[in-house]
Amino acid sequence: MNEAIKISNLSKSYGTHIVLNGLDFSVQQGEIFALLGVNGAGKTTSLECIEGLRKYDSGNITINGIMGIQLQSASLPKYIKALEAVKLFAKWNKTSLDRATLDALGIYELSKKPYYQLSTGQKRRLHLALALTRNPDILFLDEPTAGLDVEGQISLHEQIRQLKAIGKTIILASHDMAEVENLCDRIAILSGGRVAYIGTVDQLSQTIGKHYNITIQTETGTEKYETENIGDSLLSLLMQYRERGKTITDIQIDRGSLEQHFIKVAKGE
Amino acid sequence: MGAFLYGVALQWKLDIRSKTLLITCYIVPLLFFIIMGGIFTSVMPESRAALIQSMTVFGVTMGALIGLPPSLVEIYSSDIKKVYKANGVPLILGLALTNISAYIHLFLMSIILYLAAPLAFHAEIPENPGMYFISLAVFIAVSLSIASIIGLAVKDQAKTSMFSIIIFIPSTMLSGIMFPIELLPKAFETIGKLFPASWGYKLMTEDIFKFENLLTFLLFFVFAVVMCHILLRRIEN
Repeated sequence: MNEAIKISNLSKSYGTHIVLNGLDFSVQQGEIFALLGVNGAGKTTSLECIEGLRKYDSGNITINGIMGIQLQSASLPKYIKALEAVKLFAKWNKTSLDRATLDALGIYELSKKPYYQLSTGQKRRLHLALALTRNPDILFLDEPTAGLDVEGQISLHEQIRQLKAIGKTIILASHDMAEVENLCDRIAILSGGRVAYIGTVDQLSQTIGKHYNITIQTETGTEKYETENIGDSLLSLLMQYRERGKTITDIQIDRGSLEQHFIKVAKGE
Repeated sequence: MGAFLYGVALQWKLDIRSKTLLITCYIVPLLFFIIMGGIFTSVMPESRAALIQSMTVFGVTMGALIGLPPSLVEIYSSDIKKVYKANGVPLILGLALTNISAYIHLFLMSIILYLAAPLAFHAEIPENPGMYFISLAVFIAVSLSIASIIGLAVKDQAKTSMFSIIIFIPSTMLSGIMFPIELLPKAFETIGKLFPASWGYKLMTEDIFKFENLLTFLLFFVFAVVMCHILLRRIEN
């Protein structure tokens, strides 16, 4: 596979505050790639540098393809209507968006309402349609499902998968770990302006090790435990409860989410 | 070119949908005309000679200084400017489109006043209509250019309104449209000359073209263009 984007030694400071400190990573063509990080880790700054929306101090950014950028809400005039915006973007980019895409994103349903009256989900769909007007090879999605209800999230995830299926490279910034686990081929976790981790979600789990959360419910309440050795820990806990004469009414075991792993890597633990 | 013309037409529609511009470019100037036109012509019948000019100076100054800056703040103090960048569109386009649209609205409002004043208050039509409309065209352009500085320099709507009003009040009060400028204390007369409104009123009431008047507008315009260029560069960076 070829590289759609290559970032080398990217640095950016705001005054004395270093936001990006020699950032290096690459994104392969046709993959869904996520940038993760706690607030202030440099996600938005790095995305905006790549998108050309922000100047950077040093480093190199190589882009192989046309970019389409889905901006967050509040980036269109209040009174513009969906189809007017699509037409304007198409004229700017000397392209046209096919009816099938507009239909799939439900843009025709929104045609009568001004932008400020659209719901968060409707705005996200419109911004995705606008990003697609350039017929991009690489699509940037910033918090694509933030503020969407479950149905909206599922629908947008399906649309993102369809875009991948037709060969688009997708880069998204997200706080939603479930979304990242569901959608992304690879992730990069930023911490202190550098890449703290890059790879697949599964590789991250293997790198950090297996973690289990045990939730035991008794008649008097619920207690939670964390362990790396599920067999011994569970046996030991059951014996302890028996010795204390407590009746267990329910037990739940889960492997923890990527979110927990992510927080550990992001904090440098 | 197609994208530019579509942008102008779209901005024109957006301005009509925006109540702010509708109020500042049409409703308030026309209400002011109805009320003050009635008062002026009753108290001072001789005011009919320059009623069209005085009402137009008020309307254009209001529409430009109070109507335009909020549209610019909406573009340049929000993520809308990122949309321009993301699509490879120069940032100046937002400034150009809002100015052209506001220009058309203000010209239309001025035509309404030009036609209504003689019918409603027996106002005198300027002796040289061609000269009058050229003067009006220059005055609207310069007023909008000054208003653009406010819209680009100030980053939130509340402060924009405050700055606009701070400039609007002396502009109209000291321009000579309410009372003869010669009756004002010298200091106020001098302050009045710092704003385009006083020069606009002078230009539109004189039926001959004076280079001195035009030079002043040219200076205002060059100053505004330089300021807007600096402010746009600052926004871009």
